[in-house]
Amino acid sequence: MGKRPPVVLLSSSSGEDDGGGRRGPSARRSRTPASAPARARAQSQEASGSRKKPRRESSVGRGRRRASATAPSDSLKAEFDMLSEDFSECFDDLGMSGSIRKTKELWVEKYTPHSLAELAVHKKKVEDVKKWLEEKLTAPKKTVGGWSLVLTGHTGVGKSATVKAIAADLGADLCEWTTPVPTLWAEHVHANSGLRYISKLEEFENFVEKIRKYAMLRPTSTTSQGKLFIVLIDDIPVTSGNAAFARLGKCLTGLIRSTQVPTVISLTHYHKSESNNTATWNSEDLESLLQDAGAHKISFNPVTTNSIKKILIRICKEERYNASQELLHQIAISSGGDIRHAIMSLQYYSLDPRGHCSSLATNTTRAGSRCGNSLVPRRENYGLSSALPSPCGRDETLTLFHALGKFLHNKREINCDVDIDLDPFPLKENLRRNSLKMDVPEKILSQAHGKVRTVVDFLYENVLDFIDNEAVDDAWAVVSYLSEADCLLTGSPIVSYNSENMGQLIAASVAARGVLFGNAHVASSRWHTIRSPKLWQTEQSFRSNKDQILKERFDCSSSCGSCSFSDIVTEFRPLERWIGPRNAGSRISSLPHGVGGSVLVGRLDADGSNSEDDDNVIEEC
Amino acid sequence: MLWVDKYRPKTLDKVTVHDQVAQNLRKLVSEQDCPHLLFYGPSGSGKKTLILALIKQMFGAGAEKVRMENKTWKIDTGTRTLEIELAMLSSAHHVEMNPSDAGFQDRYVVQEVIKEMAKNRPIDAKGKRAFKVLVLNEVDKLSREAQHSLRRTMEKYSASCRLILCCNSSSKVTEAVRSRCLNVRVNAPTEDQIVQVLEFIGKKENLHLPAGFATRIAAQSNRNLRRAILFFETCKVQQYPFTSNQVAPPLDWEQYVSEIATDILTEQSPKRLYAVRQKLYELLVNCIPPESILKKLLTELLRKLDADLKHEICHWAAHYEHKMRLGSKAIFHLEGMLSPLLSSAYYS
Repeated sequence: MGKRPPVVLLSSSSGEDDGGGRRGPSARRSRTPASAPARARAQSQEASGSRKKPRRESSVGRGRRRASATAPSDSLKAEFDMLSEDFSECFDDLGMSGSIRKTKELWVEKYTPHSLAELAVHKKKVEDVKKWLEEKLTAPKKTVGGWSLVLTGHTGVGKSATVKAIAADLGADLCEWTTPVPTLWAEHVHANSGLRYISKLEEFENFVEKIRKYAMLRPTSTTSQGKLFIVLIDDIPVTSGNAAFARLGKCLTGLIRSTQVPTVISLTHYHKSESNNTATWNSEDLESLLQDAGAHKISFNPVTTNSIKKILIRICKEERYNASQELLHQIAISSGGDIRHAIMSLQYYSLDPRGHCSSLATNTTRAGSRCGNSLVPRRENYGLSSALPSPCGRDETLTLFHALGKFLHNKREINCDVDIDLDPFPLKENLRRNSLKMDVPEKILSQAHGKVRTVVDFLYENVLDFIDNEAVDDAWAVVSYLSEADCLLTGSPIVSYNSENMGQLIAASVAARGVLFGNAHVASSRWHTIRSPKLWQTEQSFRSNKDQILKERFDCSSSCGSCSFSDIVTEFRPLERWIGPRNAGSRISSLPHGVGGSVLVGRLDADGSNSEDDDNVIEEC
Repeated sequence: MLWVDKYRPKTLDKVTVHDQVAQNLRKLVSEQDCPHLLFYGPSGSGKKTLILALIKQMFGAGAEKVRMENKTWKIDTGTRTLEIELAMLSSAHHVEMNPSDAGFQDRYVVQEVIKEMAKNRPIDAKGKRAFKVLVLNEVDKLSREAQHSLRRTMEKYSASCRLILCCNSSSKVTEAVRSRCLNVRVNAPTEDQIVQVLEFIGKKENLHLPAGFATRIAAQSNRNLRRAILFFETCKVQQYPFTSNQVAPPLDWEQYVSEIATDILTEQSPKRLYAVRQKLYELLVNCIPPESILKKLLTELLRKLDADLKHEICHWAAHYEHKMRLGSKAIFHLEGMLSPLLSSAYYS
């Protein structure tokens, strides 16, 4: 155990050597025979896969030579070198040179489903799409409208693959819009090289126009040959701004209304938080627009873990890559229903010669790392292990409100006393909490990309709604934690505005964990709307009020200099309402924000009802 | 014009309450140089009156022509430029401002303002004083960094400007600043002095004061002369001739705060806390300083709570007053001070 720290450092970079490190040098030696065949297999596979890549072969060979030379020596230093080298090789192979080489190498393309049976998409959905297409292909050609289908779903759920497979199955030709190589605006501006700048949107419009014309011609020329056509629009140009979006919308609705060829439009759902920032169209808007125009909609769900696993196993078998069940399971889960991502991860793993052995060796400790939407319920401990990054994980993003909801609703496991006895540091009864039914709060915060100040304000505004009405101690705890967070936030220097510094992160963590910890008795869950912090509104009106008050005071006593502001508000203003040179009433109503003013004044007027008359008496003094 | 302004002594000769201090100040400026000054004392004791009279003594009537402006300071911190808007009063001879309004950017303001004043050093043909006076209010609310930069700039530009600092508590001003200034303590006027002032005003206004009336107002004012005069005028507006048992109306925000205190003591639940929060927001929107709210809240609570809880609530008030100074959102801390009262342990 004494040698653990340096190895843990390694494992975080290679991501796969956790258990090996823990077992120390002796275990390392015992592991080498197990990993050697794997390397050999990996290499033979490389060699058989493609002979045209001497660089790569040699690099693998070099890595292996180095590995075999250092493994018996058991030196940690050498181990580190080896790991980091292999790690960078993996990157090289996959990323940089991979794109230059033949793309056949990519498993994603190699194993593109060609038949319906190979699809990982749910059978029912495939049936739906197929039925629709068959219907349209056999339908009489003259009818107008109802010729288009919109497929929606997250990225990598197999929208395009489904259409392609079905088209192949039905023997129809697929017409796709191949996006032309764009001329960059900069290039166009730079030289009069004859490159004309055409916006992608414009090109898309031209394309749509062509389809429409083509559709008119079709009945005479192509049906006679018995050829079937499906138009697939996969790559809808990204537009920004309302005008461009309107153009795109008009173009698409026109297409949907007039087309006489089965047209499939695939729309990818993005997470809100991603599309928010870039001000591009949002997929829901477009979707509803298309549906209004009369398109039929079929939405795809994320691919289930089991289907992904099945596909992965098949690929492993064909590639003769011996992956462990645990690894496949993990890849499947962390992909979040994105099959393309899962296959890429698998290929990445297969490049790492030790990948599967170490994951075999550590299948107990690796259980911790997981991503947000685990489809298989598992018992986990939320200790250190979940903080270890999984090398194949996809970062989930959350909306700010989603994250706030998680903190505020504070969902926890029901059955608590599992490992209380095992705990080396038993906590007092009142400090004990059941484990959270979510990721660590810091992870959620980082996924939500909100500003810390915003998060804290929102939590403060809304948390009281979620505390049980009897649990007054909890309210105290929560408020005190938020107060701490505010101090931390203020203390952190303001200079580094965009890069979140340590103080900010700590403040966010204190706020989120404080809310989670403090709210021990969650109110029975019901529907709450999350209010926007009233604090912001208050601050704004505070500033404008302050300016106004200062001005008024200055008008009153121009020669006497100013008083400190607090004296003005606490002493002059309340009494000025009585003494008020002229018109107390009009001054109050001129306040831009009348919340407090009107209440305070209203009450006072009720007390002393004759104030109005006396105002006139004192007018000149 | 309010009586407070109307009967404010304009020159050092006319100062009645702190006449000894005023005489000393007059002697001080009659000599060639004037050191930096630090006036401190409780609110309503006459610091500002003394300062203004002093400035008039130094520069004559020209110092009375002031204009108010919201000046935007552009400050280059190296990585980015800050823009800070501050209200300031200025005449040809002096500038008066409240740097603590700039929040945690106050240190930049202090440096920048003094530097700029030093640049535009007035050139006086008659060979009179060629320095300007900078009056800084609420120095005790400046952050520690700002006070340190104040210290530095005080030395550097002492040739071209004089600082007059004004604060309530000198203990919140750093030693370094205090030792560079002549400290002038301005006591709160005694009740007798307040009575004298009120009777003086009454005579000027041709009012008849029944016996004991001025004393009662003086007692109600808590040795705050400004408040006493304001109360006096309010009473006059409400009812004249004065009746023997007449008192000034309570300040509306103080009433409101005591209502909050009652609220929180009658029911303890998160819902009630939320309701109280709305009331606190109302006070804040009306620019009542959170420190005053906290102080008043504490006095109200101390009146209403049992003896064994008093020290506890004092502890929390002190704790959150400190937090409030460290943090930026006062409401968090005000609520923090109230929330221990929710705890069921207190009432069991």
